[in-house]
Amino acid sequence: MKSSKNQYELMIALRFLLKGRGQTVLIVLGIAMGVAVQFFLASLIGGLQISLIDRTVGAAPHINILPADRIAKPISGGVKSDNRKVLYEERTEIYSWQQYVNDLKKDKRILYAAPAANGSGFIERGTSVVPVIVKGLTAPDGLDIYKIRKKITAGIPELSSDSALLGKGICDRLTLAVGDKFFLRNNKGEQVFLRVGGIFDLGSSAGNELVVISMDRVRSFFGIEGVSVIELQVKDVFSAEKISKEYGRQYERVKLESWQEKNRELLTALSSQSSSSDTIQFFVIISISLGIASVLGIAAVQKQRQLGILKAMGTTNRSASKIFIIQGFLLGSTGSVLGVAFGLFLAYGFIAGTGVNFGFEINARTLVTPVILAILAAVIASTIPAKRAAKLSPIEVIRNG
Amino acid sequence: MAESVLKTKGLNKTYFGKVNTPVLFDINIEIERGSFTALIGPSGSGKSTLLNCLGLLDPQTSGEIVFDGKSIISQNVNELADFRNANIGFIFQFHYLLPEFTAYENILIPCWIRNGKPSPEIEKEALRIMDRIGVLKLKDKLTSEISGGQQQRVSIARALINKPKLIFADEPTGNLDRDSGGTVLDLMAELNKENNITMVMVTHDREVALRADYIYELVDGKICKYLEVKKTGKAGAAKAIEERACDFK
Ligand SMILES: Nc1ncnc2c1ncn2[C@@H]1O[C@H](COP(=O)(O)OP(=O)(O)OP(=O)(O)O)[C@@H](O)[C@H]1O
Ligand SMILES: [Mg+2]
Repeated sequence: MKSSKNQYELMIALRFLLKGRGQTVLIVLGIAMGVAVQFFLASLIGGLQISLIDRTVGAAPHINILPADRIAKPISGGVKSDNRKVLYEERTEIYSWQQYVNDLKKDKRILYAAPAANGSGFIERGTSVVPVIVKGLTAPDGLDIYKIRKKITAGIPELSSDSALLGKGICDRLTLAVGDKFFLRNNKGEQVFLRVGGIFDLGSSAGNELVVISMDRVRSFFGIEGVSVIELQVKDVFSAEKISKEYGRQYERVKLESWQEKNRELLTALSSQSSSSDTIQFFVIISISLGIASVLGIAAVQKQRQLGILKAMGTTNRSASKIFIIQGFLLGSTGSVLGVAFGLFLAYGFIAGTGVNFGFEINARTLVTPVILAILAAVIASTIPAKRAAKLSPIEVIRNG
Repeated sequence: MAESVLKTKGLNKTYFGKVNTPVLFDINIEIERGSFTALIGPSGSGKSTLLNCLGLLDPQTSGEIVFDGKSIISQNVNELADFRNANIGFIFQFHYLLPEFTAYENILIPCWIRNGKPSPEIEKEALRIMDRIGVLKLKDKLTSEISGGQQQRVSIARALINKPKLIFADEPTGNLDRDSGGTVLDLMAELNKENNITMVMVTHDREVALRADYIYELVDGKICKYLEVKKTGKAGAAKAIEERACDFK
């Protein structure tokens, strides 16, 4: 009986391909082009999306836990009460933040959980007065959510009681440098004298307008009893919405908001971009398949004589099919590996030529997916000539010369 | 007849199509082991059809083929393919070598089909056969680069490599000039005697037929004459073939 190690089909398939050199080269190039386009497209779009998402949430909280609006709370006894005023003020702060933070830190999916206090005020320097948003953060977690420690361009990223970290945008406008002093005023007209301890560049205009000081300083300066928000960063950016919903069901007195909810439009744009790239890739795959099917189909006709004689000598239908499936596999694998190589060359050429890394996302997935798809397509396409080869009867060939 | 290697019982063959063409009628023949049997007859009489049925390439419509005492009842094409690979060698009018492979590789193809990579002994045997047949020099030539006579000799070597019980040859010299045809026939006759290989050969050539041990003549799909050359002698056989009449029982 024939051993399972019998690989003569491979030998014959290889020889058929090598002897039909022109055809083989053409189809391999065709597959390579298709795969190169696929790889290029996938890594470019993947890269763009990743850098876009990174720019959006890489240095920002993924989930904000905010006070639930319009939950009434009695005004605390310390505040003078005026009967004509409302007895209840809208709740704008989180008082038991410590509990929330402790609870959230137990969750392994969560990278950072840090409270923050927000206020808005004015910076006065010389004759100019500029409105600013003041963020009170804790070190190091609060700073790390914004990657301020990494993105500091001058000075030192520390929160001390008399210094502030400023965004590059404000510093440029007010020509502030590290060590310079300025007044920060709140809306009640009180003011503190602060020193520029460091300057950061978050890469976005909104981020570069921030004034960051320690959370406790913001709380006392703006009269916040609790905190304004608890900011979270999670390990897997895309799981933020799910995690947010989960805790949302658990925490009834606060409101959770994930970055996805805040960036619906961006996400819609990204997903329609992905699906148009998927559509292009789908048609590339279809055209690769059609190319292989037609080339191997022609080959199956051209090799009828050979197949007939092989069958007369004892080649089974299964082996005859295998000869074509193997050809499909060989075409698909060499073509796609060549295609990825060509795609890499294109991508690096693009980076070298334009001088910018457009953000090609080159990883195991973008490298391997088009190869696997092309091989699959090639093998599936080769089943058509394979069926034909199986059906051929040796007597037809022998009778007709 | 001593021991028979192949026997048919009431073999019929009809080609079915728009019109049904009955080609073979009640064929009962017997092939002796180690013998050289010639199959002659006018064009269109059904010689190739019979040979293809005997070689299990074309299924008969009815009747039985008994190979080595066992009736071939399988109609499974893959089982038949395995059986052909192990037991039957073919030599056709056209050489049917694979042009993508060298002469040496072509000879080994039946072994590949059987066992995959051939053992060193088989490779040595292939070279020995090539040497015997006089094509050793052409070993590494593609079969498209050698002459018709050489191609036919390579296909003889290919038919021999798996040590088949039977070799079927359908006008193996039909496409060759007289000289190279003669060499090929001499070679086949010698191989038949040397290795005790059973051969069944279709031929148009009376001279060739007279070199056989047995002659069957086919006319209109029926066996019309059966001659044992040993008994009749060459002259007797020649005379019997000459007589046109065919007495069907
Ligand atoms: N596939 C087929 N369909 C229908 N009829 C066929 C088919 N093959 C052969 N025939 C017919 O069967 C008959 C015998 O053909 P076959 O080829 O066996 O003759 P032959 O004796 O080998 O002739 P030749 O000496 O010319 O080779 C012919 O009449 C032929 O037309
Ligand atoms: Mg014929």
